[in-house]
Amino acid sequence: MRNFFIILIMKILNVILKICGKHGGNFLGKVAYKWNPKIFKYFKVNCPVIAVTATNGKTMTNNAIGYVFKTAGKKVVSNTEGNNMETGILSTILKNCTLTGKIKADYLVFEVDEGYVPVVFKDFPLDTLVVLDFFRDQLDRNGEVESLILKINEFLKTYSNNLVLNADDPNVARLGKANPDNKNVYYFSVDKYDFATTEQKEAGEGKFCPFCKTRLEYEYYQYSHIGKFKCPNCGYGDNPIYKLGTEVDLKNRTFKVDGVTYKIRFNSIYNIYNLTAVIACVSLYNMDTDVIKEALSKFVLNNGRLEEVKVRGVPTIINLAKNPTGSNVSLRILNEDDEEKELLFVLNDNIADGFDVSWIWDINFDNLNNVSRIVTSGTRAYDIAIRIKTSGYDANKIEPYLDLHEAVENLYKTDVKKYVIANYTALQPTRKELKL
Amino acid sequence: MKELKILYLYPDILELYGDFGNIQILKYRLEKRGIKANIIRYSIGDEAPDFKDYDLVFAGGGADQEQSILAEDLIKYKDNIKEAVDSGVFFLLICGAYQLFGKYYKGVEGNVIPGLDVFPYYTEAINDRKKRCIGNIVIDVNLNGKETKVIGFGNHGGQTYDVDTPFGKVLYGNGNKFGDDNEGFFLKNVIATYLHGPLLSKNPELTDFIIKYSLDRKYNEDTVLEPLDDTFENLCRKQLLNRFLTETKNNP
Repeated sequence: MRNFFIILIMKILNVILKICGKHGGNFLGKVAYKWNPKIFKYFKVNCPVIAVTATNGKTMTNNAIGYVFKTAGKKVVSNTEGNNMETGILSTILKNCTLTGKIKADYLVFEVDEGYVPVVFKDFPLDTLVVLDFFRDQLDRNGEVESLILKINEFLKTYSNNLVLNADDPNVARLGKANPDNKNVYYFSVDKYDFATTEQKEAGEGKFCPFCKTRLEYEYYQYSHIGKFKCPNCGYGDNPIYKLGTEVDLKNRTFKVDGVTYKIRFNSIYNIYNLTAVIACVSLYNMDTDVIKEALSKFVLNNGRLEEVKVRGVPTIINLAKNPTGSNVSLRILNEDDEEKELLFVLNDNIADGFDVSWIWDINFDNLNNVSRIVTSGTRAYDIAIRIKTSGYDANKIEPYLDLHEAVENLYKTDVKKYVIANYTALQPTRKELKL
Repeated sequence: MKELKILYLYPDILELYGDFGNIQILKYRLEKRGIKANIIRYSIGDEAPDFKDYDLVFAGGGADQEQSILAEDLIKYKDNIKEAVDSGVFFLLICGAYQLFGKYYKGVEGNVIPGLDVFPYYTEAINDRKKRCIGNIVIDVNLNGKETKVIGFGNHGGQTYDVDTPFGKVLYGNGNKFGDDNEGFFLKNVIATYLHGPLLSKNPELTDFIIKYSLDRKYNEDTVLEPLDDTFENLCRKQLLNRFLTETKNNP
């Protein structure tokens, strides 16, 4: 009875929020969870529940999986706005369930914060878990990445449903061994792409074998520590691949899986990994290849995740980057583009960003390709200016402005193509300043 | 061409908090002045270095787990490192490296990782794994009679005891322990500190102090360093000192 009333009150609250024109975010979930932390048990789910977790790429992969199902005409309930902690997921469920806790959908697809997988799915069924990558991320808030991995590993010891894992991230692939009896582990991988390197170019984790502590050997690195690795001592790294991305062509935005060519709207190796994960995941639900092809050819994100727009008539590419790998991926795209361009980097150090900005020194600013000017802004505009200057970029071409409005006005003094990188709390104010 | 020979310890392991930036900054400020930065990296499995051969030794902080792997390796060089310290080689040690050069590090589970015992301090983790000294830090430092403020960022669980000669007086944030007035460890040729940021990024005066010491010692002269354009650094310092030190006054 108690849960019935909690849901009833949340439904009423939701109506009030809607009347007030508020989206609510994770508010409903926050209230309901406080009332009954075991409320997840109450819901009746009669469809597959899919979750995506990672340091980077959760929102994109989650939304793309949902988009494929929708393209197939299925009803999908998903937290597409990125509210990915237990309260955010609960909010999504509360908005889409009946008073008796029934959720009417063909698929539930959730992005889940790395730290909250065990919290949410302790009391809620999970059919497929997709794990993309683990990178260092806001160390002062999240702690070291190893402790997060150990938590998920612990959860997986008793989990025996589908597990879709990135075979090229040693910290992800290791999760496949958490429960040796699980027969439903599916690895995805992507063939070496044109800009892969034999030396690691960007900061990364997973230098040592998680099983025997021997230094891992890499045949090549795609980006950060993602690549073809193997432990020379115990052989870890040689996993059977369920879906392999091949013939990656970033210029024409195509790649192949199982011989089928997919035309996509993204141009980074990082997204090829995410989309290969999407294909692996939806293939477990027998989605038709033509449906997947159609869905991926249309799928875009308009929330500052590699968003391509025109601002004041000038082509502008915006990407959220809240950690070194996110930034390095953006700079890879910038460097793989030979056209002249200018860069705006907005760096804040608010609570949600982490107060520590030393991670910007893990961004590889070496040898920027045809960047004629860099404008910096945010509460740490000078820190990022110092960082870029030290990498050898001409200090005379760097303009720091604490004030974002001033920064954007100065950025658009020229009509050269723009790349915009903004960290977490900087992204929306930047988009607003760009009138998006 | 003058040069400084810099030994960069465990660059692939002690690299979690952007401390690599210190090496980049040293290189930048040396090369801008026409001095060669000869940086030699050493990590597990490499040929043993002779620490006395170098002008400057640098090591940063890393992940807890990986740090214990390298502690076993580093201890092989204990005597050689002591000789190098005594002979005046400059040591810049951040966070985990700071701890490793002391007597020991006692972890949360009571496990003791023996240190190099080069310096007399020791470090013990707090029982609560979640409690760490995290946040921005400003300290007052005396560099050869010149007072300067050093800005950085701390993130450590270990509490370091028995430091007789601290690096600086804490003006904002945590020191060697929660709420400690003292931060780091300081000798004429050693700076060991918890400050990331990276440390040298916002403190050009400190960087030049280290460079000058190393050049003076190597070339046996009183080096005058050519001034560099520190516009960004000065703006950054002004902004952050104002922000942090005003915050302290408002929230004592």
